[in-house]
Amino acid sequence: MKVSIVRTGGFAGIERRAQSDSAGDPLLARLVDRVDLRAVPPPGRIPDQFLYEIDIDGECAVVGEAQLSGPLRELVHHVLGRAG
Amino acid sequence: MRCTIVPPHMLERLAGDAADPALRDRARHTLALTSAQFTERRTLAPAPPAPAEDFVPRRTIHDAEHREELPGRTVRAEGGPATGDADVDRSYDWLGITFDFFETVYRRNSIDGAGLEMISTVHYGDRYQNAFWNGRQMVYGDGDGVIFTAFTGPLDVTGHELVHGITQYTANLEYYGQSGALNESMSDVFGSLIKQRHLGHTADRADWLIGQGLLAEGVAGVALRSLKEPGTAYDDPRIGKDPQPGHMDDYVETYRDNGGVHINSGIPNRAFHLAATAIGGNAWEKAGRVWYDTLTGGALSTTIEFAAFAAETVRTAARLYGDTAAETEAVRNAWRGVGVIR
Repeated sequence: MKVSIVRTGGFAGIERRAQSDSAGDPLLARLVDRVDLRAVPPPGRIPDQFLYEIDIDGECAVVGEAQLSGPLRELVHHVLGRAG
Repeated sequence: MRCTIVPPHMLERLAGDAADPALRDRARHTLALTSAQFTERRTLAPAPPAPAEDFVPRRTIHDAEHREELPGRTVRAEGGPATGDADVDRSYDWLGITFDFFETVYRRNSIDGAGLEMISTVHYGDRYQNAFWNGRQMVYGDGDGVIFTAFTGPLDVTGHELVHGITQYTANLEYYGQSGALNESMSDVFGSLIKQRHLGHTADRADWLIGQGLLAEGVAGVALRSLKEPGTAYDDPRIGKDPQPGHMDDYVETYRDNGGVHINSGIPNRAFHLAATAIGGNAWEKAGRVWYDTLTGGALSTTIEFAAFAAETVRTAARLYGDTAAETEAVRNAWRGVGVIR
């Protein structure tokens, strides 16, 4: 499965993006299995928080950093890298 | 594929009015899960302070010790001695300067106008490259040292975050689309004014930059935003080019970044710069007064767009200085200059 993440917002408003394929990445494959994009709440109104747009094989959700937890959080940081 | 998000005001409408009960319940559930639960605002304006009343800041600085938990350990309270931790002490000092700005210039007593405690958490997260206002407090990361230095560094970053609190307690501009870009612009405008007053810079001498010093050495850029020349603050292969427009002709339609709140804020930012430089002198005195009275005057709807906001600043200027005054004409011309008033 193709996973792409776009980080927007933040005080700086600078976009970061990254893409990964679970085919060659067993950890990512396990994380994808544990994530349900339909269950995440929409981002709240926290000024300057990061927003993460998460696309897994065409299914998509936007998550605010305050709602980013559990396997979804691991997935985002895994794809974007530590600084994401 | 295009990933859409439902703007918060639509969600609220659904929660209240949707004919389909399932849709209504889902919207209500969603709202309950969002940060709305953290945001507080006053429904009644606080009583005006007595003319001679001295406002006293109440600051508390916490240390998240590199975790992402708030508020973290209390490390400095109001009146407490310097800790020796540069981020803690800078944050404390910048809050004091910001408090003093609003007290002295606009007779405002803290974030809510009634002496609200100012709370900051520093050392949030691991090399966290951001600062934000969560509805109750300010939060600062240390930056990664490669692209960003510590977010406690620039005074205008603290000003920016604290003004998100003032906006929340006053006009409560919805953080989406044009009202969200205005919310961002209020934070940039007053963030810059706090720095200008601290440095004693008149409008023509000020740098009008937001986040100067925040980009690490070697990153091609002078700051994160420029109110004077939106779109020129940085251009670096690692972070891209400053995407801000300075005119309605270049307005960016996007669903990202809450509908481009950090992008299109360049337009009202530049309008403020044009008004302030046309009026001249200390920007916080006249142009700043017009913007402050507009933000806090109670006439703005939470979903107001640029054109209606512009009209409101003209009304405020006319009330303060007269309909045909040079100041009022400067405000009108500023909004014409960015294409908001045609």
